[in-house]
Amino acid sequence: MRLEVRGLHSYYGRAHILADVSLEATAGEVVALLGRNGAGKSTTLKSIIGLVRPAGGTVEVDGTPISGEPPHRICRRGLGYVPEERRVFASLTVGGNLEVGRQPPRPGLTPWTPARLFELFPNLAGMGGRAAGQMSGGEQQMLTIARTLMGNPALVLLDEPSEGLAPVIVDQMVQVIRSLKREGLAIVLSEQNVNFAMKVADRAYIIEKGRIRHECTIDALMADEAMRRTYLTV
Amino acid sequence: MNDLGFYLVQALTGLSSASALFLVASGLSIIFGVTRVVNFAHGSFYMLGAYIAYTFVERLGGALGFWAAVLLAGVAVGAIGVVVELLILRRVYQAPELFQLVATFGVILVIQDLALLTWGAEDLFGPAAPGLEGTVNILGTRLPEYDLALIALSLVVLGALTLLFHRTRWGTLVRAATEDREMVGALGVNQSWLFTGTFFLGSMLAGLGGAAQLPKGGADLLMDFNILAAVFVVVVVGGMGSIPGAFLAAVLISELGAFGILVIPQSTLVLMFVVMAVVLIFRPWGLLGRPEAPGQHGQVGPPEPPLRPPGPRLRAAGLLLLAVLLALPAFADDFTLVLAVEIAIMALFAASLHFAMGPGGMVSFGHAAFFGGGAYAAALLVKYAGSPMEVALLFAPAMAGVLALLFGWFCVRLTGVYLAMLTLAFAQVGWSIVFQWGEVTGGDDGILGIWPSEWASNRLAFYYLSMLASAGGILALQYVLHSPFGYAMRACRDSVVRSASIGIDVRRQQWFAFAFSGALAGLAGGLFVFSKGSVFPDEMSIPRSFDALIMVLLGGVKTVLGPLAGAVTFTWLQDEIGRLEYWRFVLGALIIAIVVAFPQGIAGFLRARLGPWFGVREMEA
Repeated sequence: MRLEVRGLHSYYGRAHILADVSLEATAGEVVALLGRNGAGKSTTLKSIIGLVRPAGGTVEVDGTPISGEPPHRICRRGLGYVPEERRVFASLTVGGNLEVGRQPPRPGLTPWTPARLFELFPNLAGMGGRAAGQMSGGEQQMLTIARTLMGNPALVLLDEPSEGLAPVIVDQMVQVIRSLKREGLAIVLSEQNVNFAMKVADRAYIIEKGRIRHECTIDALMADEAMRRTYLTV
Repeated sequence: MNDLGFYLVQALTGLSSASALFLVASGLSIIFGVTRVVNFAHGSFYMLGAYIAYTFVERLGGALGFWAAVLLAGVAVGAIGVVVELLILRRVYQAPELFQLVATFGVILVIQDLALLTWGAEDLFGPAAPGLEGTVNILGTRLPEYDLALIALSLVVLGALTLLFHRTRWGTLVRAATEDREMVGALGVNQSWLFTGTFFLGSMLAGLGGAAQLPKGGADLLMDFNILAAVFVVVVVGGMGSIPGAFLAAVLISELGAFGILVIPQSTLVLMFVVMAVVLIFRPWGLLGRPEAPGQHGQVGPPEPPLRPPGPRLRAAGLLLLAVLLALPAFADDFTLVLAVEIAIMALFAASLHFAMGPGGMVSFGHAAFFGGGAYAAALLVKYAGSPMEVALLFAPAMAGVLALLFGWFCVRLTGVYLAMLTLAFAQVGWSIVFQWGEVTGGDDGILGIWPSEWASNRLAFYYLSMLASAGGILALQYVLHSPFGYAMRACRDSVVRSASIGIDVRRQQWFAFAFSGALAGLAGGLFVFSKGSVFPDEMSIPRSFDALIMVLLGGVKTVLGPLAGAVTFTWLQDEIGRLEYWRFVLGALIIAIVVAFPQGIAGFLRARLGPWFGVREMEA
């Protein structure tokens, strides 16, 4: 799986949210999209999965253009999307939420089953019959990732996975992302939390006011404090 | 002992009449849950179920044939629902919210005439179900065997639906989509097929309901609107999207009817609405429903464009229009003047509804309550107090305003589709009061001989009077819209929380806005009485409410000029087509065509083309 985004433009009404956003991600790689609140991180991910229809630019998966397709088609091509607001189905049980995400296995990847997911997310094990609306924020965050994995994606778009989580849950999230990387998935995650990104990502794109300002390896970012101060720290 | 038997049978009769209500209401609820479309044509599907079953029963015969016919009718109506979804609704899901209503109203009209054409105008008496013609003796009182079959049927359907929604993948997807359909799409589920599937299921249930009640009620052309109000009540009381809720509410309402008729035979309908009011005060989301938070479904449209006072060119165009209207009698014949008066009255009616549902954010499915309320207030005052026209014309908006204050007190406790359905239910109470209270209102015969005062009795004078009053009413709505009251009202629509936090009493604001809108609808109703010289219960009926809704939506709910454009188009169309034999079919088909061609509404379409010239900035990309 190789994702290539080139020259993406997106609007909300008349507001120009994304201007000429380009990024790439390949299998086994964790890419972080870093930026402050309102920089365009979420819109970038939504434009890739098709929830926001890009006004210009291309999104390609393994060389096939996918922009303009409805979200369910893009999902079936192997892209999984984990929304920032979690959006679990509150009245459905954990099992029901996983069922909604279920899609056929993808060649070359070990298919996800609820049992395998409960190994990855021990917190969810034994909660199969609980209504998702009655779970804690951290548990819901785990569930929303598990639900997306049920679709057997080759690439996962994670929108601010560490937001609003207790430190101990954030540590678990780091482990989860690392093990997904080991499975050979490509991961694009948006983050404000640079410390979290530096623990999991290989490369980083820095986005500000809807434009990619900088692209570098995560090691280079760690070394460049001036860069972090300019674009990232609050 | 005999008494016990009597009450037992009464209770079972109530249960059996709950079956049709439950089937139709659960279908409506399922369709709304997933597609967010309030299917006005659901009553038509119910009616079609009865007619189609009638035909199948005739062909098949026998006990097996009867039940096969009922099932086949359900499936056939389900297929018709799919056709409607695929050919019409699928094209307008992207349109502004509620625009699909117009399309489903077109479907009602088309189905009415197709049924008339196919089965004739005579009521059809339902065949008895073979093997279930007899009665059973329950402690000395007799109960038709078929009533027991209907009770069994609704229990079977309830069980089957529960299994479907909780034990199958499709059911799980439907429940998930009811919560957040966009997210379901992002998880790889093709929403289109989910929509079509729910339309099949929901329509099939309505058809099944109609088919199953055939031996009890037969089939007639009024079934569609007759069941609609009760179904809306059941859905609102039970809770939108809840199948057990629909069942519970259907049973509650039907039992109330069965026993209420023993206590106060005249007013079972009123009793039903009292129960609804009580339920909604304590549980605004229905017995088993969940609150509907805006944005919860991931499909809040783009923000409402701000309203701006009209620019100089638009004002000039408005003045030009007024000048043309002033000069019209000089070169128009009497028929044109009569039509112009009707258009003006309808424009005021539509503008009053637009005030409530556009900038006010309170959609009313029952605005005819205030139109008809004003009309009856004026007519009754003239008839019983011998009042002159001038007083009656003031009395009409005043009484309609009072009525709107009364209904509004309940309505503003709800939001969105619950509020809308409640208004329809209230309007139906009003309708049944004027319809049934014959001694005072003349019932079906209406009130005749309500003519204008001497000075206004010639056509020309009345033309100017109604133009003045309608234009005045519309300008008053405009004025209020741009006054602090209007700003506060729009603030409440856009964000309840933020409005409340800057000190606006949201409920009271909405309550008064609703009443003001009702009062001006009443003025339109008052004018209407004097233009026709009479008033009939039709002025309060569901179709009259839908007329206003169609005008506003057809015109474009987001533009202030929308209701005017809609009123002109719709009234003129009705006038042109009304003389045809199958005018409903033609009008319905035309409405559907307009919906598919102009999903932004007529005024929205014009604004996109001509807006820049009039200094109207396009807000949506």
